[in-house]
Amino acid sequence: MILASCLLTVLGTAQEKNKIRFGKISPEDFQKTSYDLDTGAHAVILADIGSSEFEAEKDHFRLVFKRHRRVKILDKAGYDAATEELYLRKFSYNSEDKVSNLKAATYNLENGKVVETAMDSKSVFTEKLDEDFIRKKFTLPAVKEGAIIEYSYTIYSPSTSYLRAWNFQGEYPCLWSEYTVGIPEFFDFIFIAQGYHPFESKTREDVRKTFAFRFDRESSYGSKTGQTDSYSVGANVSMYRWVAKNVPALKEENFTTSISNHISRIEFQLSARKYPGQAVEEVMTTWPKLRELLMKDESYGIALGKNNGFMGDEVTMVTAGATSDEEKARRIYYYVRNNYTCTDHSSLAMDKPLKTVFNSKSGNVSEINMVLVAMLRKAGLNAYPVILSTRSHGFANPLYPMINRFNYTIAEVSIGDKTHFLDASYPLGFDKLHVSCYNGHARILDEEVTAVQFDADSLLEQKLTSIILRTEDGKLKGAFQQRPTYFESYALRSQVKEKGKEEYFKSLDKVFAKISNPDIEDLDSLETPVMVKYEFEYETNDEDMIYLNPMFSEATRNNPFKSLDRKYPVEMYSAMDEIYTLNMELPAGYDVEELPKSTLVKFNEDEGVFQYVIARTGNIIQFRSRIKLNKATFPPEEYATLRDFFDMIVKKQGEQIVLKKKK
Amino acid sequence: MYRLLNVLCLLMLSGSAFAGDPVYPALMIPAELKEKAHSVKRWEEISFRLVSTHETRLTEHYVITVLDPNGDDDAALTAGYSKLTEIRSIRGVLYDAAGKMVKKLKQSDISDESFSSGGTFATDDRVKRHNFNYNVYPYTVEYEIETRYNNTFLFPYWLPRSASSMAVEQSRMVVTVPKDYQLRYQAYNFAGNPQVSEEKDMRTYTWEAKNMKVAPAQVFAPALWRRTTFIRFSPSEVEMDNYKGKLNTWEDFGRFFYALNEGRDQLPETVKQTVHQLTDNLSSPAEKISALYRYLQQTTRYISIQLGIGGWQTFDAATVAAKGYGDCKALSNYMQALLKEAGIRSHYTLVHAGPGENDFDETFSSNQFNHVILCVPLGKDTTWLECTSQYIQPGYLSGFTSNRPVLLVTEQGGKLVRTPVYKAEQNLQLRRIDAQLHPDGNLQATISTRSTCEQQDDLQERFHRQSKEKITEWIRTSLSLPSYDVAHYDYKVEEGAMPAIREQLSLTARNYASTSGKRMFLEPNVLAKSRSRITTETDRRSVIHLPFAFKDEDTVNIALPAGYVPESIPKGTTLRTRFGTYTSSITVKDNTVTYIRITQHNGGDYLPDSFAELEKFYDDIYKADRCRVVLVKRE
Repeated sequence: MILASCLLTVLGTAQEKNKIRFGKISPEDFQKTSYDLDTGAHAVILADIGSSEFEAEKDHFRLVFKRHRRVKILDKAGYDAATEELYLRKFSYNSEDKVSNLKAATYNLENGKVVETAMDSKSVFTEKLDEDFIRKKFTLPAVKEGAIIEYSYTIYSPSTSYLRAWNFQGEYPCLWSEYTVGIPEFFDFIFIAQGYHPFESKTREDVRKTFAFRFDRESSYGSKTGQTDSYSVGANVSMYRWVAKNVPALKEENFTTSISNHISRIEFQLSARKYPGQAVEEVMTTWPKLRELLMKDESYGIALGKNNGFMGDEVTMVTAGATSDEEKARRIYYYVRNNYTCTDHSSLAMDKPLKTVFNSKSGNVSEINMVLVAMLRKAGLNAYPVILSTRSHGFANPLYPMINRFNYTIAEVSIGDKTHFLDASYPLGFDKLHVSCYNGHARILDEEVTAVQFDADSLLEQKLTSIILRTEDGKLKGAFQQRPTYFESYALRSQVKEKGKEEYFKSLDKVFAKISNPDIEDLDSLETPVMVKYEFEYETNDEDMIYLNPMFSEATRNNPFKSLDRKYPVEMYSAMDEIYTLNMELPAGYDVEELPKSTLVKFNEDEGVFQYVIARTGNIIQFRSRIKLNKATFPPEEYATLRDFFDMIVKKQGEQIVLKKKK
Repeated sequence: MYRLLNVLCLLMLSGSAFAGDPVYPALMIPAELKEKAHSVKRWEEISFRLVSTHETRLTEHYVITVLDPNGDDDAALTAGYSKLTEIRSIRGVLYDAAGKMVKKLKQSDISDESFSSGGTFATDDRVKRHNFNYNVYPYTVEYEIETRYNNTFLFPYWLPRSASSMAVEQSRMVVTVPKDYQLRYQAYNFAGNPQVSEEKDMRTYTWEAKNMKVAPAQVFAPALWRRTTFIRFSPSEVEMDNYKGKLNTWEDFGRFFYALNEGRDQLPETVKQTVHQLTDNLSSPAEKISALYRYLQQTTRYISIQLGIGGWQTFDAATVAAKGYGDCKALSNYMQALLKEAGIRSHYTLVHAGPGENDFDETFSSNQFNHVILCVPLGKDTTWLECTSQYIQPGYLSGFTSNRPVLLVTEQGGKLVRTPVYKAEQNLQLRRIDAQLHPDGNLQATISTRSTCEQQDDLQERFHRQSKEKITEWIRTSLSLPSYDVAHYDYKVEEGAMPAIREQLSLTARNYASTSGKRMFLEPNVLAKSRSRITTETDRRSVIHLPFAFKDEDTVNIALPAGYVPESIPKGTTLRTRFGTYTSSITVKDNTVTYIRITQHNGGDYLPDSFAELEKFYDDIYKADRCRVVLVKRE
């Protein structure tokens, strides 16, 4: 998935330059109204040019991000491209990212002349989003069909950690996307590039630069004197430059974990600061270092290293009488799961101290599962937090310990030679994870920072359905039993919780006539899938011919893969195994006219199978259908096969049994 | 400001927040109130006080017991504010099942976020939220929110049952105004009159509701205020910023809005010249309206900006001319100025917009509006203009604003009129399908569809706003067919007084007919299968509100594969109900199945007791739409 990584070699010096200059627009620029790259586009990014460089600012480095973007609005549906949002980070002590030199203008061609309309500075709207971010928004004036808009701005950041990432791809196709990053020798960054679109050029050039710092001179007592000292330092600066040309617009598809895994993008992670005359400050280079930092962090693991006496009574009470370590672990898990409310399922940081979370019985997913880990430890068990990234958050990088790639904490507990993964933030069983957690790479924060994989491919979800039809008093009476998959059971449980069993069966009433004895077993246990049971009547209406689908409403009626082609891999939630059986007694007075044919179809040799088996013995018809796929992820090349496989299933499962009244 | 907040915090720490108040053990809730409820409002008092001609105070104090996790949201605090309103304090306490205090709200736990609804570019609306996030049920929360309004335009409402699964033990609304101030209100589903008491020069009105059971959600329900106890309040005299006025009648209401916007129609000289260039050579007013409306659509776009009084008052026309954008108020006002320059009179018109949201109380003049359109009276013909759309035809109002009362804002005051109704025959979808069925069950079909008026609103929106790639993807994936490949798709927007869209589609529906041995099972209704059925409501109490009237006509010809003959042909279906009609017929001739389906939904309001009939109408259509022809291969 990850195409390029850190060490960029010098790839040559022949650099193609983009010659656009702010405000230099000629009538010729308006001639083109359609672009081969995407003839259906409503707006085209003509150029998107950015740079990030370090600068001396008083006594520290600051990051300077510059951007210049020019967009052609082709028609009204492209008007949204004329609105831009900037996200600015706030740091402590009143310091925050600052925007300056914001220029924006719209150009229209009127009577052969370029008419410029500049945006006035009052049109920028500032919004405080939360404690950490400010959003600035602006929209350009005089936007009409065919207009060219452009804007440029600079963002000064007091922090050297957040070197801005660059998306070469976005909602609109882009003719030229370029990012330059200058890194002085005092900083080490890891570069991570992803996506499928190749770079036009990728270069590195080392230059010499001087950074001039100014320090406030302090008196010998430490007070300010109003005088400053200057200090200049020369350093090698590596100038990296990436150019991508003719990048297509991003396309959203079904069965994708997160589009963020597929966008063409480069991002950076600070790994070390190496200021002259100072020891090298490793920021985040190895997994053990990441673990160490996290476990010392006030807003993460610091409390796990403490005695946490405040939870002693609770742990003793919850585990009283438990005869085994597993029973202790289970009791603590159920206790946290049942008593704590999760307020946010995407947060790695703990916003509150462990004690506050413990007492308030609510918190984000990391806070709740940290309470779980702490309680397990308090009970003498060997428990660790596990960090992972949920499906919608994109993959965590298995090579580089990048903290911002993680957004979730679960708990790991080892008992004997068994390892259990627990998540108390959802109503789940012991050792069960939520579907969103099956997203590949995760790390246990034990001494070895053990890597674990939660792959959808390795998770098998089974579903068993059985219908038995018997003739009673000249009527066909059915008994339905279904054990849905664990994930389906999870959804069903919340549906029943919200609307009640009655409403759930009411919706079934419209499928089968006269439902009786409805029941859902294992609704409360959460450890296993539920079991849905009911009885129903099947009306033959004394017709001469009866046509019935042996799968009733359980047939796969629609192919989930509608689209003809596919750009990105298909990422389903799990491997699947769905078995359906029917045992049916022929209704009195009828005989079989025709039965569907049995069949067996394999998917990619051994990666899946579809069985459809039907046979008659005396007055009993026995039927079985099974869909089995051994993996959840399919590369785009396998898309057509997958689509055909489901086409075949839809076709086969639509077939009918034909019964004829005996003469 | 900072100091003031500190003082408030200190005060709150020093005094017990709700000392001496009664406690609310969950045990005390009457059993019949708990029936189907996820939460119960135990006690509530909303006090609204007119402090001066330009200031009011609102105190909302309530106690809610949450019975289970689905009631959690009912107990969460959401308090909106803006430049026109200021939240002065929020207090809160959490109690356990026994009514014992668990904890008090900490000010630092209140979040403060921008409240921008979808599509809003800029707003000063913000919201404070708080939640105790407790999960030992039942539990009880108590909140008190004090809000100050710096105007007398925004009045509160009283809605005791503020969530659909909430029961109410007791709720009171207390409004205090000076004796010489006429309090205007309209009560719905409330029997009797308020208690009135007087003290010094103030008069207090009190309404009270007790023991209200839950009112479960209903399909085809009228607006909330028609279904539950609700009181609307509206000022008789108003002051906002420097604007003052009376609001006793719809005339007053219109006059106030006229004053708010007066003098904001000055156009720059260049735009005036453009208006004359565009219209001076046109003879009829209709042509002039059309030309200027097209000019508006080409040179402006919709950007929603709601800041302070700007939530109610329009940007001036010169600003729109300079920036080329504005919200509904600004664009309508700008269009009005353009028309004025061309010598055509028009009215800025307030409307409550939303597809199907045409419930409106004409008998009580009050701010029931959320949108602005423009009305151009021309003798007997009136032209209506939706100024925020860059593409719809001049004169057409979509289902967003059609068929409802609106208020014309004129120099002489407000005037209530109705927007046009589009009838079932106008909201028409005509579809013809010619298809060949193949022996493998694949159906190759060419489909032409013409949709008019409100039946084309969504298509129109899609075709103008989405990228071609998204439209292609949509047609490739959205049809209710098991699996299909689109060979060709195009569409055409027809020009004309009534908007119409023609779509041409050819596709192959794979495995459309299921085959078993020598038989094929063919559902002749290819694309018009009704997808909705209604869940039984045994105790329907509210009126059945069907806002949409429409008609669909489908003709399907399917040529059968050689060698197949029908074994069973379903009978046609005819349904005639007060809600509409449905007929379908299936014939087989010359090896071709012909299916004709005509359905009409009348729309309108119906009494609750006809619900079972409506449910049956939907069920019967659902069933009839899935009838199938059985074909058998001749040996």
